[in-house]
Amino acid sequence: MSVESVDPDEVDAADILGSAIERREDPALLTGDAEYTDDIQLPQMAHMAIKRSQHAHAAIDDIDTAAAEEMDEVVAVFTAEDIDVPGNLPVGWLLDTLEQVDHPILAQDRVRYQGDAIAVVVAEERYAAHDAVDAINVDYERLEAVTSPRAALNGAADLHDDAPGNTAFEWEIGDETKTDQAFADASHTASVDLENQLLIPNAMEPRGAVADYNPSTEELEVAMTTQNPHLHRLLMSGVIDHPEHKLQIRAPDVGGGFGSKIHHYADEALAAWAAKQLERPVKWIATRSETYLTDAQGRGHETHGEIAMDDEGDIVGLKIETDANLGAYLSTFAPAVPTYLYGTLLSGQYDIPAIHCEVTGAFTNVPPVDAYRGAGRPEASYVVERLIDLAAREVEMDPAEFRRQNFVPDDAFPYETQVAVVYDSGDYEKTLDRALEMLEYEDFRERQAEARENGRYLGLGFSAYIEACGLAPSELAGQLGAQAGLWESSLVRFHPSGTVTAFCGTSGHGQGHDTTYAQIVANELGIDYDDVDVVEGDTDEIPHGMGTYGSRSAAVGGSSLVTSARKVVEKAKSIAAHQLEADEDDIEFEAGEFRVAGAPDRSMHIQEIAQQAYLAHDMPGEMEPGLEATSFYDPDNFVFPFGMHAAVVEVDPDTGELEFERYVAVDDVGNQINPKIVEGQIHGGVAQGIGQARYEGAEYDDNGQLLTGSMQDYAVPKAEHIPEMETDSTVTPSPHNPLGVKGVGEAGTIAAPQAVVNAVVDALEPFGVDHIDMPLKDEKIWRAVHENGGEE
Amino acid sequence: MAAHDITLTVNGTEHELTVQSRELLVHALRDQLEYTGPNVGCESTTCGACTVHIDGKAAKSCTVLAVQADEQEITTVEGLAEDGEFHPIQEGFQEEHGLQCGYCTPGMMMTATQLLAENPDPDEDEIREALEGNLCRCTGYQNIVNAVENAAEQMDAAAARGDD
Amino acid sequence: MEFDGTFTIEDVSTEEVWLALSDPVLIKQCLPGCQFMTRVEDPDAVDFEALRESEPDDDPATLPEADLEDISDRAFEEGAHYAALLQLSVGSVKPSFRTVVTIDERDFPVMNASGEGSASDSSFEMASGMTLVETDEGVDIEWHAEADVFGTIAQMGQRVISPVANRVVNRFFSNVEDRLTEVADDNDGGGLRDRIQDLL
Repeated sequence: MSVESVDPDEVDAADILGSAIERREDPALLTGDAEYTDDIQLPQMAHMAIKRSQHAHAAIDDIDTAAAEEMDEVVAVFTAEDIDVPGNLPVGWLLDTLEQVDHPILAQDRVRYQGDAIAVVVAEERYAAHDAVDAINVDYERLEAVTSPRAALNGAADLHDDAPGNTAFEWEIGDETKTDQAFADASHTASVDLENQLLIPNAMEPRGAVADYNPSTEELEVAMTTQNPHLHRLLMSGVIDHPEHKLQIRAPDVGGGFGSKIHHYADEALAAWAAKQLERPVKWIATRSETYLTDAQGRGHETHGEIAMDDEGDIVGLKIETDANLGAYLSTFAPAVPTYLYGTLLSGQYDIPAIHCEVTGAFTNVPPVDAYRGAGRPEASYVVERLIDLAAREVEMDPAEFRRQNFVPDDAFPYETQVAVVYDSGDYEKTLDRALEMLEYEDFRERQAEARENGRYLGLGFSAYIEACGLAPSELAGQLGAQAGLWESSLVRFHPSGTVTAFCGTSGHGQGHDTTYAQIVANELGIDYDDVDVVEGDTDEIPHGMGTYGSRSAAVGGSSLVTSARKVVEKAKSIAAHQLEADEDDIEFEAGEFRVAGAPDRSMHIQEIAQQAYLAHDMPGEMEPGLEATSFYDPDNFVFPFGMHAAVVEVDPDTGELEFERYVAVDDVGNQINPKIVEGQIHGGVAQGIGQARYEGAEYDDNGQLLTGSMQDYAVPKAEHIPEMETDSTVTPSPHNPLGVKGVGEAGTIAAPQAVVNAVVDALEPFGVDHIDMPLKDEKIWRAVHENGGEE
Repeated sequence: MAAHDITLTVNGTEHELTVQSRELLVHALRDQLEYTGPNVGCESTTCGACTVHIDGKAAKSCTVLAVQADEQEITTVEGLAEDGEFHPIQEGFQEEHGLQCGYCTPGMMMTATQLLAENPDPDEDEIREALEGNLCRCTGYQNIVNAVENAAEQMDAAAARGDD
Repeated sequence: MEFDGTFTIEDVSTEEVWLALSDPVLIKQCLPGCQFMTRVEDPDAVDFEALRESEPDDDPATLPEADLEDISDRAFEEGAHYAALLQLSVGSVKPSFRTVVTIDERDFPVMNASGEGSASDSSFEMASGMTLVETDEGVDIEWHAEADVFGTIAQMGQRVISPVANRVVNRFFSNVEDRLTEVADDNDGGGLRDRIQDLL
């Protein structure tokens, strides 16, 4: 069901929204014309490199920079003593019980993870900067390190004086009494203890920044790898004490993010600060080893979950206890991820009358943990879908039918869960039915039974996922602790010649916004797609913005563009009425043309009106010249994409080897602006989910040393690791945004892990295997089989 | 640090430059000659984002010293299109949505063109195997495989038409 | 990480092996990448640059030529500290470790030592020991070590540390074996073996 892409020139203007047109950003990316941060070279540019802690936890007795300072081509060496600005990275989401701890951009007397920044060198040349970093000598006094959140909370040495017992926060959601009662009354229960392992994002482009300061104007321009330039501008202006209106953050082409380029790190702030100190451009580009040590990681949960059913097989309660790894310091949105982005999704696609969840956030000696593709929602979906399979097994029901029986019915929307969210729309049986059809489900179960007779072990795993995305109604986000509004801003501007530039505060980094936003704006204005240019990722050009993360760009940014475009149309309509000498109420707008009702020959095209608006020779009343509009769109609710993914695998119990037979994905992301891009997002998301299920995981030794610190040690999936994905979709539009869109960026990553794990556990049912922690490497599968004696 | 005068012919243009002994080819290309198409992704010969052709063979320019490439012919992604016309592999990636953020794409295409030169009609498994040294974090590879198949078909059709 | 193994040297006595492994000069010569090995008084205040510069161009004689009394005089002492500069090649990284080793126990035929080494971006901590066991064929050196590594070698090289450690240990003992073979050969003419026996 692969989507065929089309040349935009072959699409009628009226059909542009929803067409799988080829992307307009591709030519630059395919020819080397793209400009990534490391491609930027400025006159007099110096290079910065960072001395990082080799220990996961240590006191610093001394930092000796003398040898580095004397080296050829070294411009400057800075340590914490030189930092003359606040230099403390803030946290952007607060919880009632949160212990806020200092997060200095350069460590002074203590380092708390391997990779913590200690000193910076600025040199004339890239290699010289790294040489000088090697010449800095640091005397450490090594301290006990801890990397597991559960261990950190149970007697490990404290990381921060302000957070005794390493507790960052304690948080709960749902009704504990009601849930306990539900369990007491239940006929059946099932439980699982699982780990959702730490993941390293691995955007292909490492983080980096090029900062350029003009001492005459005091303007500081920072081109950097960012998913949210305005947010970075606000945060950095505080960290380096530079006025926000004199700070420009620009996202050149950005080579993937997956969350890792949302957060405000020390490194980019140091480059900006150094450029200002030295009054010359400074470039910092992370090596891959540095990204392994310092990019905010994802997941990191240790969870106990229980589910209760009545004697009909209806779910009556769900209890979850999670210790969440926050790493050494609080990253930008870290407190939100294992709480409001996790606990609120624990009802899954199911009508569950009682839910209670407790989360304890723990400081540990790993890099800060924050949003990584899915952010909290994959963790929720994983534990729910693992429990659902165990519950179906417990009540001896087919896992598909157990799900169907417990789904929120399609006539129950909007549906308020027991964990504080209202699902806007959904039709879960539709994606299940389509998936079962694609899977030829009944045949599969027969095939599986026959294969078992012959000593072959096939398994099928379902994943009925839901996510909340399109962050978010600002008022609700504020109530939950966000220190920012989560609206999105845009500006739609007609030029006098009739072409349009659309500015949006989101900041794409591979998602194809230039294409999809132009489709949206061209459709709203009724003009040619080619007449619309899209600008993102520059605080000096775009009025404001909150950025790209949480699958929010289409739902919030796209809706903002619709809102701005409609304001433009309103103004154009007034001008049209005036110039056509008709009553505004009699003006109809269709396909770019304003017509007087009942007099179809009296009409003006919106592009003609644009010219009139700038000539301003004949404007109605007091109306100002020009034709443009800005909007700040604040959504009414999250959007709730959903779907059914399923993996079909064969496991060899003698070797633990696993082969994918099929991977089926049926997603409902609401209306689709560009189905080819939607498909691509699903593919990429699924691949990352399969990566987590099968290969990936940050591993540390007892001293907190990262054992998976390079691409040779951390298995980013290769082409031969990912099975062919069979995709299809249903469409249940979101009722509360003007495009009816949901979100697609994270769907696959949320859905895939449990599909794979459930499939393997299904295959190994005859061996009494009921859970295996990810990543499901062959050895782990083999051990799971043989722990139970390896006998059926 | 010793300096060396070398000559690199990049996409048909001869360049004389001075490099350090330890200077990597990818840095000489990017920082000195401003061919920024090849990207640095891993510095451990794993990700393939820096792949170029050296004398017609795909090579990872992050693990070749610039001095080793002295007097050799280098082709980067900038040299794929001719006279403003996309190479079939570029067409394939565009038509099949074989790229998202684009960072791995130059290297991916340089590896793919080498595959197609050696095997004009690869099957899916052969494509996936040929791309084992090129990592992509965005696409899940499926549309990259489709892109390479698409390019193979275009090149086959062009050959049948007798194009050069 | 823990490592252990047994290295067998044929046609030697435990006393000969003990003497060889007690000689800092011979150890320095046999240990791959070891630039010097010098006794120091204060393990916390070692000036490695000064030690490197004061290192004589030519080592004093070792077995089989050395005067046995000289070896005996400079032999490792229980409780003493020794500074060494070790250059190792671990995967793609080649750190130079400034290392201080303490002889924790030296009681024939058992020797235990512990130490720490640090390079610019890596370091290690180690405890090790060996026991000599006389067999019909010669001597088994039963050795064990427990090491923690930090920094770049841990990040980039952990997966190759075991083979590297085994390679270094085997090359070290092979070098020692070569020296002892020379001792045995020398004995054919000069009675060195008997004198070692007498010394201990």
